[in-house]
Amino acid sequence: MADMIQVARREIKMGFRNPWAYSFLLLFCAFSLSLLVINSQHIVQGYSGVTGSMLNLILYLLPLMTLFLGSFSLTAEKEEGSWQLLSTYPIGTLSFIVGKYIGLSIVLLTIVAFGYGLMGFISGLIGTSFDATTYFLFIVFSCGLVLLFLTLALLVGSLSKNRWQALTVSVSIWFFAVIGWPTILISALGLMPYVWIKPVLVALTFINPAELVRLFVVIKLGGGSILGPEYYQWVQWIQRSSGSWLFTAVCVLWIGFSIIVVYRIWERGRSHG
Amino acid sequence: MKKARRTIIYSLLLIVPLTLCNVLYLEKVLASSSTDQAISLQTIIDQLDTGDSVELPPGTYTGPAIIDKKLSIRGNSKVTLLNQSRKPAISILSDGVHLQDIQIKHTASGDDSPAIQVKADQVILENLTIQTSGYGIMVRDADRGILQNNTIKWFKPEADMPKQKGNGIDLYNSHDTQIKNNKITGLRDAIYLEKSRNAWVQKNKLSHTRYGIHCMYIDGSSVIDNEGEYNITGAMVMGVKNVVVSGNSFRKQSQNVHSQGILLYDVQSSSITQNVVEGNRVGIYMEQSSKNLLSNNAVLRNFIGIQLLNSNHNQFRSNEFIANVIEAEATDSEKNEMTGNYWDSFQGLDLNDDGTSDIPYAINPFYQRLVSQTPAYQLFFQSPGMTFLSDMFTNGRDHWSKDPSPLMKSDIYHISSVESKKGSDDVLIIGLFLLCCAISIIIYLGVLRR
Repeated sequence: MADMIQVARREIKMGFRNPWAYSFLLLFCAFSLSLLVINSQHIVQGYSGVTGSMLNLILYLLPLMTLFLGSFSLTAEKEEGSWQLLSTYPIGTLSFIVGKYIGLSIVLLTIVAFGYGLMGFISGLIGTSFDATTYFLFIVFSCGLVLLFLTLALLVGSLSKNRWQALTVSVSIWFFAVIGWPTILISALGLMPYVWIKPVLVALTFINPAELVRLFVVIKLGGGSILGPEYYQWVQWIQRSSGSWLFTAVCVLWIGFSIIVVYRIWERGRSHG
Repeated sequence: MKKARRTIIYSLLLIVPLTLCNVLYLEKVLASSSTDQAISLQTIIDQLDTGDSVELPPGTYTGPAIIDKKLSIRGNSKVTLLNQSRKPAISILSDGVHLQDIQIKHTASGDDSPAIQVKADQVILENLTIQTSGYGIMVRDADRGILQNNTIKWFKPEADMPKQKGNGIDLYNSHDTQIKNNKITGLRDAIYLEKSRNAWVQKNKLSHTRYGIHCMYIDGSSVIDNEGEYNITGAMVMGVKNVVVSGNSFRKQSQNVHSQGILLYDVQSSSITQNVVEGNRVGIYMEQSSKNLLSNNAVLRNFIGIQLLNSNHNQFRSNEFIANVIEAEATDSEKNEMTGNYWDSFQGLDLNDDGTSDIPYAINPFYQRLVSQTPAYQLFFQSPGMTFLSDMFTNGRDHWSKDPSPLMKSDIYHISSVESKKGSDDVLIIGLFLLCCAISIIIYLGVLRR
């Protein structure tokens, strides 16, 4: 436990001495402020064109940022040899991985908190009508994206040998999950029997963090009816508090599962040298 | 100590049932006394002559009552008519009857009977407050009636399914009726018009119903300045010609998977102008309709602004589409004339400074076609990947619905109904808190830490 906290603290310290973190912080702030300026004429509430486009823009930026910062942090351990050094100490691999995850999440969530804080503060000052529930849902949306994509980032970092490899894999995962997702699914599901399409689609949605978080927030913003009668019961269910619990449970499962996988990879690397 | 606790428990066990019995008994006595004192409305009507007008003294009356001669009956805020039978509380069988200022409670449950049934011409019903567990006002084969300033509510407080309820105002084969300034809430259809020509529906407020206004085969009617909120569909107009739907506002019809602001199905030669549809699932839905004029409507903050299906030869002029998630979808509807509409997400180019763009606005039908083939793909609604994919499918662009001269700027500034100004203070405080947290984490855990 103490090891884990130590690793997390080291990670936070390194994270905020990393110019990458600040460049992403600046990018995120510039971005959230531009959104605010674009929408200063409109009311930001519920699911509308304004919030829909904000969701999409965040969906482009945050996963990419998380994948880069997360995977680079792990490959750096390998490249700079600090993991080799740490391996000689009596520190558990699990403490190391969980510590890394916690430290990185704090760094990333701080960046998100800074961006949203600035956005909320300025919108309050200039008097944009920004509904508090919508603002809160946006923060939840961004935190969910960060936490889930961070598990993917750790996987990428564990499997890559160096930063270049991590960069390439990160970009392809980002493209696959955020942009190519419907195209790939529509073409693949087209080959399946018609009755399979919906269940397979729902199952696959649970393994794509970008879609999972996006749909959860769209439904919570009151836009669930647009998904049509096909998903009526899902929507009814997610709109209630049971939906939030399900969402939290899925996120925890996601995080737990991928931390175990990452742990296995590192543990094997440790014993095999 | 133990003994004292036991005594308290025993006395509680004794007191609670006793009080319950008392309350039940009292309620029974009160109920019987109120019906004892109540006067049958029918006996009063029987004593009156044709052409009489009477003002009912304050009190409780009982139904059912049949009015078969021309009468004018006026009550006040303290006149209540109770009807527990399965017949209409008041049936009007004679022309020219005038009823006003009566509270009607029509409580026979599980029944289709209306609180008021009108089967005669030129009847005036005004300032009535109706609570019903069946229909509100049912008008059959009765022309030139006036229904105004009435309030109609569902009697039971619990939420029944719309199917189990009756309609607020239900017209069948009743021409030239005026329905004005009524407030209807919680019923199946607030105003249902069928086979009734030249109806005039104006300034009604309709909420929490299935269809706010449901029109079937009502040629030559006008639906003007009505307001609808939280219905499944605001106005459902079907199978009509020469109808005017103007100045209405339909907001927040977004809960149901079939919700729309205005639904036009098989509507011909009608004009739909100056309506505001805001925050609905679909703002205006149009199917198999032609030769209509849609102008100066404000379509705001809907999930889908306007959806066209098999609708051709309509004119769309000077409508505004603002902050909709998807502003327009159109399939098999390319032969419409669209001019000078404002589409806020469209980036036009105005080289000759005439206020309209020289690049046309085209509606991409890709998504709508995809989900009509496989509804399961609605899960991709406005996902970034879906937008990306739609933008790639631009072949057949010549056959898309197009606005060749979209407006560059919106003319009117619409005041929205949403009062969320107060929320911005909360956002300011939360924002400041987050900002301080983030800065202190960066400084104490990052920069200053050795």
